[in-house]
Amino acid sequence: MKRYLMLFIYITFLFLSIFYVTEQSAEPIAEDQSRLLPVKMKAIKATDSTAEIQQVVLDANSQGDSIAIAGMQHSQGGHTVYPDGILLDMKPYNKILRFDAQEKTITIQSGATWSDIQDYINPYGLALKVSQSQNIFTIGGSLSVNAHGLDIRQGSLIDTVESLRLLDANGEILILSSNQNPELFQAVIGGYGLFGVILDVTLKLTDDEMYEIHSEPLQYDEYSDYFNESVRADEKTKMHLARISLSPDSFLEDMYVINYQETEQEDLPMEPQKLKQETLVAVPKFFLGLARLNEQGKKVFWNTQKTYSASIDGKLISRNNVMRSDSEFMEYSHPENTEVLQEYFVPVENFEAYIDDLRDTLIDEDQFNLLNITIRYVEKNEKAVLSYAKDDMFSLVLLINQGTDAKGIEDTGRVVRNMIDVTLDHGGSYYLPYFGYPTKEQMAEAYPRTSEFFDLKKEYDPSERFMNIFYEEYKQ
Amino acid sequence: MNYKRFIFYQGTIVMASSMIFPFYILMLRNVGNSYSQFGWAYGLFALTAAICYPLIGKIADRAGDRVLLSIYSWGMALLLLVFPLANEIWHVYLLQIFMGVLGAVQKNSEKTVLARHVLKETAGKEIGNYHIWTSIAAAIAVIATGYLVDFFTISSIFYIASALFAWSGFSIMKKDKALPELQT
Repeated sequence: MKRYLMLFIYITFLFLSIFYVTEQSAEPIAEDQSRLLPVKMKAIKATDSTAEIQQVVLDANSQGDSIAIAGMQHSQGGHTVYPDGILLDMKPYNKILRFDAQEKTITIQSGATWSDIQDYINPYGLALKVSQSQNIFTIGGSLSVNAHGLDIRQGSLIDTVESLRLLDANGEILILSSNQNPELFQAVIGGYGLFGVILDVTLKLTDDEMYEIHSEPLQYDEYSDYFNESVRADEKTKMHLARISLSPDSFLEDMYVINYQETEQEDLPMEPQKLKQETLVAVPKFFLGLARLNEQGKKVFWNTQKTYSASIDGKLISRNNVMRSDSEFMEYSHPENTEVLQEYFVPVENFEAYIDDLRDTLIDEDQFNLLNITIRYVEKNEKAVLSYAKDDMFSLVLLINQGTDAKGIEDTGRVVRNMIDVTLDHGGSYYLPYFGYPTKEQMAEAYPRTSEFFDLKKEYDPSERFMNIFYEEYKQ
Repeated sequence: MNYKRFIFYQGTIVMASSMIFPFYILMLRNVGNSYSQFGWAYGLFALTAAICYPLIGKIADRAGDRVLLSIYSWGMALLLLVFPLANEIWHVYLLQIFMGVLGAVQKNSEKTVLARHVLKETAGKEIGNYHIWTSIAAAIAVIATGYLVDFFTISSIFYIASALFAWSGFSIMKKDKALPELQT
């Protein structure tokens, strides 16, 4: 019958369409993702030429303009904007300059994304050492926020940087590394673009490996011991991730962990696994949408997350693919609400007590719409001046849905400051790239070298050529 | 095709097209960004429709309304599969031209079916009744989609609408022996 023929044709085209749509890689949108700080700039400059970037700095010097440097603008505290300043958009400045497969190094311009590197090195069987779990950010942006990720063996991002070139406030290009200009190097990594423009970076790479995923549920009070005995002590485990429940019936108690373990393999270089593209955005987006609605939705969301984590147990995935996890499903556009992040670091051994106190802080905050907490591990590393890893710590990334109006900002700010107080009480710290809710005192306590950082800023950029709202709010 | 099925059919396709039309703008905003481009996109739609009407009118009397309605449904179902792939303004223009042709097919057929069915004496009441159901379908679709966009991506809205069109095409092609006077 004709209509069955039509149906058949239709289904064929349906699959073709879905195939091509998922093939089309998702281009991230360039705007401050929190939409809490709309800022009017004087001009936006974007170029792929080093000379032109240099000229932007020289022109700003002669005209007395401020420059705010921007990558993907996922930081949420005005780190990439400044009122009436020049926005230097680094995204077009994204060429790969040098690659040495033997030495395992790559030199790349700072506007390139981690995804660009992965696309380039995956065929050579190489992978990144340290990067965020998502790969949509620019290299310059990630260095400026001193990002961290899932890896538990390769140290911090700063250790993977062999050297970088910085365009300073005088328009001069300096080479920075742990040996060359070390003081400035340690200020620029995690320096929020306040010392100059990171032009290009030489990164150390490592071998791409095949990992077996191991996931299991546990309770929050078992987590520290579990991590020390079964994760950190097990040399085969290379990456680690955990989530904790926000479902009303197991709030901050139930957890699950996901470990990525090296598979037994001969000493041959592995066949590169095809880099995965983001698929089926609608499914996680739907469940996250439910979690936004109410408690029941959060219960469904948690159960789905648990079921999903159990379902991937035993699967194989390449290192490159672990380091490019999905993010598109989190994109959220609502006229009155937005989604913001918070990240808290707490020493491994204090986790249980910390979660108990955090639960007490949040238990009566009915209006505080917390959607997800993901837990990772950061090793102690105090090389960066603004280092959050004062100890071996767990990092908790919180996804929060909040109103964009004054009341939404006030309410969320109060809860956030309470949470940071709890974190600091347990010897923790918090992550700086997010909205300016914390007080100056909280920053000084979380980052003991805060005043040194701002002194260095004044020393290297006395005319405050490089400016952003974060600096304006927190400088001392 | 009996009249009841026609109303049900129209309800479905109005629902499907109401799902996409208001939100289609969101996509135009991503692809094009000037008012003149908006103007051209919709102008092309209307222009192609105008050119096609005379031809469609003739075909309608010869081939029958049901054939045209199924062309419309399957055409829209397939066309919507291409929408999520559009990323240049000329893609949108091209899609609008096809939509113009199909839109003309639907508009004309809707009216010819009504003209062939309703009695002149009670035409006002019958067409009024007809519009109630299609408008309710449109209202439900628009409101529901407003929520859906929050949960899904814009692309999935196109797929859902496409599936609705496919279903409408599938059901309108079903043969029935009742009321042969409407089978042309």
